[in-house]
Amino acid sequence: MLFNSLEFFLFLPIVFGLYWVIGGKRIKSQNVLIALASYVFYGWWDWRFLSLILFSTLVDYSIGLALGKKEKPKTRKILLWISICVNLGFLGFFKYYNFFIDSLIDSFTFFGSELSINTLNIILPVGISFYTFQTLSYTIDVYNKKLEPTKDFVGFMAFVSFFPQLVAGPIERATNLLPQFSIERKFNYKNAVDGLRQVLWGLFKKIVIADNCAKYANIIFNNHTEYNGSTLLLGAFFFAFQIYGDFSGYSDIAIGVSRLFGFNLKRNFAFPYFSRDIAEFWRRWHISLSTWFRDYLYIPLGGSRGGLKMKIRNTFIIFIVSGFWHGANWTFIIWGALNALYFLPLLLTKKNRINTNLVAEGKFFPTLKELRQMAFTFFITLIAWVFFRADSVAHAFSYLYNMFDTSLFSEIEVLPSTILTLVLFFIATEWLGRNGQYAIENIDFMKKPMRWAFYILLIILMFSFTGEEQQFIYFQF
Amino acid sequence: MRKLLINICLFFLFAIIIGEIVVRVTHVVSDIPQRTIDEHGIQKYIPNQEGYWKGGDHKWLVNKLGWPGVLPESNKNLIMVIGDSFIENFMNPNECHQSAYLKSNMNDYNFMEAGRSGVSFIEAMEITKQMDSLNPIHSLIYLDDDDFYESITQVKPMSDITQLDIEINTIKYGEMKSPGLKKILYTWKLMYYFYNRFQLGNLFQPETLHDNSKVEEPEFTAEVIKLIDYIKQNYVTTNKTLVFHPNSKKSFIEICKSAGFNTILLDSSNDDSWTFDYDSHWTCYGHKRAAEQISNHLLNSNHQGILNNFNIKK
Repeated sequence: MLFNSLEFFLFLPIVFGLYWVIGGKRIKSQNVLIALASYVFYGWWDWRFLSLILFSTLVDYSIGLALGKKEKPKTRKILLWISICVNLGFLGFFKYYNFFIDSLIDSFTFFGSELSINTLNIILPVGISFYTFQTLSYTIDVYNKKLEPTKDFVGFMAFVSFFPQLVAGPIERATNLLPQFSIERKFNYKNAVDGLRQVLWGLFKKIVIADNCAKYANIIFNNHTEYNGSTLLLGAFFFAFQIYGDFSGYSDIAIGVSRLFGFNLKRNFAFPYFSRDIAEFWRRWHISLSTWFRDYLYIPLGGSRGGLKMKIRNTFIIFIVSGFWHGANWTFIIWGALNALYFLPLLLTKKNRINTNLVAEGKFFPTLKELRQMAFTFFITLIAWVFFRADSVAHAFSYLYNMFDTSLFSEIEVLPSTILTLVLFFIATEWLGRNGQYAIENIDFMKKPMRWAFYILLIILMFSFTGEEQQFIYFQF
Repeated sequence: MRKLLINICLFFLFAIIIGEIVVRVTHVVSDIPQRTIDEHGIQKYIPNQEGYWKGGDHKWLVNKLGWPGVLPESNKNLIMVIGDSFIENFMNPNECHQSAYLKSNMNDYNFMEAGRSGVSFIEAMEITKQMDSLNPIHSLIYLDDDDFYESITQVKPMSDITQLDIEINTIKYGEMKSPGLKKILYTWKLMYYFYNRFQLGNLFQPETLHDNSKVEEPEFTAEVIKLIDYIKQNYVTTNKTLVFHPNSKKSFIEICKSAGFNTILLDSSNDDSWTFDYDSHWTCYGHKRAAEQISNHLLNSNHQGILNNFNIKK
């Protein structure tokens, strides 16, 4: 079920109403409702894959309980590895099997011999990368004794399948979300209003910004040889806002919907395109995944504590794995490696943590230096997005080659001024609201009629600029 | 919770009012005229209505007789133009109506349109009967294959369209389908916008399986012959020309010819598109080209004869 679908607009009020009719004191009943609703939400896409989530839930619940009972390090380690192998096994099979087979065949062909293995026609279960990482975080935290294993199966089931963030995150940590299933949820008016406002903003990002940018990004990327350099640059610009509007829009809706049910999810995006360097960008982009990799991969590998070699190795590992997490294609791996290359100079010169505060804090306009830094960071991100969006590595290189020829400074061939105006409106709103959790969080300074008029403006824009309903990009990851 | 629900209700009320204003000002949906059924059982529009077509580029109007379009200045040498939504033609301005193009090609004649979406062949014949009081010298009836099927209860039963029951040879006049609901829907423009935008009408239709393989549709020739026989016995056919849409079934045209009708088969091949990209109706260009072909047919020697039989008053 898509957040921007009619079904969801019927589904949400029904679940919301039932949830609060049950009442915050009957926690178990509420959890049963959440689990059931989540299974309906997921099963709406393809009910056959519900068994996969249920199996993952059963495995990690049982292993969590076993880890709580066992003290012997060796036994605990075996239990942890069973969880890792089961979860990553599923992920590997559904997401990466064909990629590995293809790559194996290609490498044998490269060395002059033939290998005959058939690839499989596998359907990638929606959101598998998200819930796999979420359940893994539970087992690892229980293993590391950061979290007590839960005995409440229904609560755990609701945690794994929690519908607002099940298919595209934010990837929640068990330490943050799981305890919320065992405490009384009280309806809070302010939270609910704030949640609804965040949902509205998320829908605007998805429907108006992402879907409209997608139209032009698709046209330009799919016919890149027919356009000049400046148009290709615009195509990459549109894709940058497509992916940001799409993914951060989904996160906003997920966080907002969760707040309606009395849950607080982690922030996933913090105005990444206002970053002054790539390190800041990665602290602001897909925060739940970056911190997941930091805590469960980068730090266990030694982080940035070791020597130069280790720093370089760990940086490449984390960025390449992050790229690979997004999809089984060399384009994602190169996208990750490119970001590692951007990041390394900052790490090695110890400048990776100089921009930790809010850009132009307390000021209306940024300084020229900040503007230059933001423009540069955005530009190099744009180059990396070309790899992310391209169908193949050859496609990406061809796109960049055509983009950086002399026609980069010629007149743009496709200039959808309405969409560009909308993107500018979006950037301006984000800039003005950058001290909030999301752009329109602190809109309360406006009088109620003005505020409502602004919400209605967003709604009108959504209806006016709704194109073809596009699936959220991150579902495929 | 109460406060939230009250605020949500108030917000929706506020949004509905603003939305209604925006939809009306920007004409994102077309204004839809109200219908009525006259004393002869013919569905037509309530006279003297006007409104905007989607986008607000042009206005449509319903004349004092209850038909869309402008009435001729005189009823001298009157030729009736009868048909369904192609003749109703709300999607084009008045100057792109068949009557306007035909008049510019055949200045000695006056043309009057009687069009309404959903008009079947049998209903078109009923309309010609009612129009006899205006003493037209000729009638042009615009048809496609569906107009034959929709005329016969046994082939395509439809309660809102006038049809012939070929088993008992009786006309069943169309009834208005949920007129109250439609009146609300067309008046409450925001609701109508949502209805169109989300294709809410489809929610209440049984789902059909889409099969891409081409299935030959039955011809229903026997049923069509019965329909034409009934028409032959109950209406005057000699002063009527049936104008067939491009690619209409040749067999139907032959049956009509044998019943005494004059026929014209329009041809849009080897020409620019006659229709809108998003809609099968004709654009101004399509109407112009259709009118040119019809005028040429009517003014050539054979057809001039047809018109002469009806005493052109100069």
